[in-house]
Amino acid sequence: ELVKALTSQPYPRVKVANIRNLRVGEPVSFNYPDEHSPAVLIKLGERAYGGVGPDGDIVAFSSLCTHMGCPVSYSKKRFVCACHYSMFDPAKNGQTYQGHASEWLPQIILRFEPSTGDIYAEGVEGLIWGRVRNVLKATKTTKK
Amino acid sequence: MALFPRMDRIPIPPKDAQKFVTVCQYCNVGCGYYVYRWPIGKEGGLKPEENALGIDFTKQGVALQTQSITETMYNVVKGEDGKLYNILILPAKDSPINRGNYSIRGGTNAQAAYSPTKPTRNRLHYPLIRVGDQFMPVSWDEAIDLIARVVKGVKDKWGPDSIAMKIHDHGNSGAGFEDNWAVGKFFFVAVGTRMLSIHNRPAYNSEVWGQRERGTHELNYTYEDARLADTIVLWGANSFETASVFYTEHMLPNLQGATIEEKKKEYLKGEPAEPARMIIVDPRRTASVTVAEAVAPDRVLHLRPNLGTDYVLANAIARAVWEKGWWDKEFVEKRTDLKTFEDYKKKSLMLDVPYDEFMSRVERLTGVKRADIEKAAEWIAKPKAGGFRRRTLIIYEKGVIWGYKNYDTIAAIAQLAALTGNYGKPGTGCGRQGGHQEGYVRPHSKSRAKLVGSIYAGGPPPNIDEYVKNDPRAKVYFVAGTDPYLSTPNSQAYKKRVHERTLALTRYLSEQAKLAGEPSGSEERAKRILEGLEKTDGLFMVVINMYEIETARDAHVILPAAGWGETPTTHINCNSRLLRIADQFMAPPGEAKPDWWIWGRIATRMKELYEAEGNREEAKYCAGMDWKSAEEVFLDGASEFPNNRVSEADEAMLPAECYKGVTYEYLRKVGQKGIQTPVRIDPKTGELVGTKRRYVHKFGTPDGKFKWYGTDPWDPDPMKFYPPQITKYFKDGNDKKFPFWFTNGRSQIIWQTGYNDRYLPEKVYTIPLPYIEMNPEDAKRLGIKSGDIVEVYNLEGNAIALVYVNDAPPPGTIYGIMYHWKGSLNHLTTDYTDPKTTIPWYKASRVAVRKLKGNLQDVLKNTSLLPINDFKT
Repeated sequence: ELVKALTSQPYPRVKVANIRNLRVGEPVSFNYPDEHSPAVLIKLGERAYGGVGPDGDIVAFSSLCTHMGCPVSYSKKRFVCACHYSMFDPAKNGQTYQGHASEWLPQIILRFEPSTGDIYAEGVEGLIWGRVRNVLKATKTTKK
Repeated sequence: MALFPRMDRIPIPPKDAQKFVTVCQYCNVGCGYYVYRWPIGKEGGLKPEENALGIDFTKQGVALQTQSITETMYNVVKGEDGKLYNILILPAKDSPINRGNYSIRGGTNAQAAYSPTKPTRNRLHYPLIRVGDQFMPVSWDEAIDLIARVVKGVKDKWGPDSIAMKIHDHGNSGAGFEDNWAVGKFFFVAVGTRMLSIHNRPAYNSEVWGQRERGTHELNYTYEDARLADTIVLWGANSFETASVFYTEHMLPNLQGATIEEKKKEYLKGEPAEPARMIIVDPRRTASVTVAEAVAPDRVLHLRPNLGTDYVLANAIARAVWEKGWWDKEFVEKRTDLKTFEDYKKKSLMLDVPYDEFMSRVERLTGVKRADIEKAAEWIAKPKAGGFRRRTLIIYEKGVIWGYKNYDTIAAIAQLAALTGNYGKPGTGCGRQGGHQEGYVRPHSKSRAKLVGSIYAGGPPPNIDEYVKNDPRAKVYFVAGTDPYLSTPNSQAYKKRVHERTLALTRYLSEQAKLAGEPSGSEERAKRILEGLEKTDGLFMVVINMYEIETARDAHVILPAAGWGETPTTHINCNSRLLRIADQFMAPPGEAKPDWWIWGRIATRMKELYEAEGNREEAKYCAGMDWKSAEEVFLDGASEFPNNRVSEADEAMLPAECYKGVTYEYLRKVGQKGIQTPVRIDPKTGELVGTKRRYVHKFGTPDGKFKWYGTDPWDPDPMKFYPPQITKYFKDGNDKKFPFWFTNGRSQIIWQTGYNDRYLPEKVYTIPLPYIEMNPEDAKRLGIKSGDIVEVYNLEGNAIALVYVNDAPPPGTIYGIMYHWKGSLNHLTTDYTDPKTTIPWYKASRVAVRKLKGNLQDVLKNTSLLPINDFKT
């Protein structure tokens, strides 16, 4: 279910979570592609666009609101930003369905390893707020 | 994987990138933007000294502080020099209006730019002439000659009133003072017709004569007043969604208590300064209500009157203010006309009716409880501790402008503000939120036709929708910068008739072509058109637009217009009357031209034709329109304004948009800071001075006093209150057939008819279809779910809509997006207009809903159906 995305940058390959530890609707915070870019992974409980896992419902997004960079929080199946009230739908490619953000929340490309249950982040589709390129610096775990 | 191709890096503007001042092309807020432009193939660097923004791009930006730069702000365009350029259109951090904030509309300014490699390639490139069922590209010379000959021929034979128009009158979106002046000069002077209408309504009128005739123009406050008010009232204005940045950047901080220090600076010594309260009058629980509730749950009052009862509610709040003694006696006695005040007291406040009886009638009709009406009165007018007057800013918009009895409704709200002394002071004001921006200057003083005002000023003006539908005297119809097939009220009936009439002419021309062969050129084609207009009830329609919009499908000539950024335009925003320039930064597609150039060419050709036959008199009226530049038109328009070398108090006598003395050089120099109209020339210094707030010293009447108006009597029985266009739905079993009230409005995401947005994947995925909102109670009873497709229908017409179930509309009321490129819900609105003003009542109709079989799987998969008014975590 993972379509190899064409990205121009050397994204790192980072293990984010294992499916065993995921509960529906409970977000898992992590940083990707580096420690200055907070992100969130969630098992939604319904099939989602770009979702991985046996139910196609595990998705991950940058958690910086694409409007002006405030942190978004997850509740009731969506991301809400407390600065200017943008709301993004994680089941539908992070689309802004209300509010000021003209750019959809960047979705993180995930890879699910069925043999281990591990979930890896491998890239980002969409520009993370506050950057002109998503990868600020190459690291030794950089995927080539 | 993404629903549409995404970018994960953006080209960086180099240090020497060009920087243009501009203003958003979209809503009334008028956020400031900068366009950075640099040749493709070049790029700046990550270090601050290597790029035009001076930003260190090796680091993560800081929320709310760093310049917002998103994928949607980048594009590649062709410059006026024919070369390709990278552009970034970024919200200006130094604009007092938005301070780096921006909305989901303006954030896509760059995406709407013409590009031959993107869907905006659909822009009109060439003039098109209908031949049969095809549109043939022709040169400007050919198209202009044809139009000039037809207009002249029709005017000479049947008189100027045989030429009708429906045209934009606003600023931004590619229009502004330049285009409006040219339109005015053409129709008022060259043609001299009375048959005029404005883009969004059937006649040529102010939307708010009910306020203007009181002595106040509807743009009288400034954006800072939202930060300084004790109470903000949003009446029929869903500001979070339709004046988005004005709401989040200036109203919310006040609501959150973040503007106390600013208040202390402007308030009187010892005056209490507290976080604001907000009153929202709207039948729906809009996002404006629920965001405010999320921020300040105890300081939001939501009133939900029955549709069309707003003027009764406004007068009732005023009555409550009166009864409690909270009216501003000093203001009323000093600043208003006490003679007409007696009318107001008798007819609007109904002081002859005992208060309890009055309130019981109001409750019955409006559905709003007396306790809430009195609470509103308290929040608007109860003096603060220490006896200081409460500062209230009342902002109203289309919920009431397009209401029942437009004149009385707007007058009621404007007068509530006067009764409570809320004009001309910091934190006060009463006026429009606005829809789009403004930029109106037209030669009223030189109009050859008599233009009328409200019923109290020689009017009301004629209904041009009805004129072109049914009056054989209408021969020519210009539709420019608007798409009435989607946006006019009762549009199904309108489209049907305009189609029939334009087709009648087309059929005649086709028959002539069969009999006598194709016309040999524009002269012969014009002759045949004039014959056809005589022999049939045909209508010759010319559409001027950026795209081949819906209305264009029945046109005989389509002309390609230049858009935002493709020609310099000037306009003012609505929250501050801030005049700025939106400069040119790219070339229009193909042969597209600014509207002012088009009108100038037609008038000049008509002048040549009149001169050729020795008619110097008529030729004179077509002269002076041969402008060579946008600035020339701008300066020509200034001639209409009166002497503006006047005192600060006399700003009240100036037209709201007066910009006399301003030049493009000045505007480019002041950039984002702009200047607030009306502009004066200081009598002592000769300097240009803006007007921050209007009516500080006096109102715009001969004696400077606010003139009151007593409302019409009203009956609390709905069958006697509402007009026949609505009461017919309560008779003959229609109340069972059409059980829902229907109202309409906008989505934050889409601008107008989506003439640009329909080409942006972000918008198309999120708002793929016309939609309705339905209350969960009604949905459950009808077995309807979010994502279902329904037909909405009544005696006016029918439409298809996607359903969103949420608690925004009350039970028994359906809300619809007003129109969408895939269907217009104006099929359901009535042809009611206020007899005093000819303003339509878009905001109410009656409908039925039936679910259609199946669903659109594509929509269910890709479109979010989450409720847009639920922000609770």
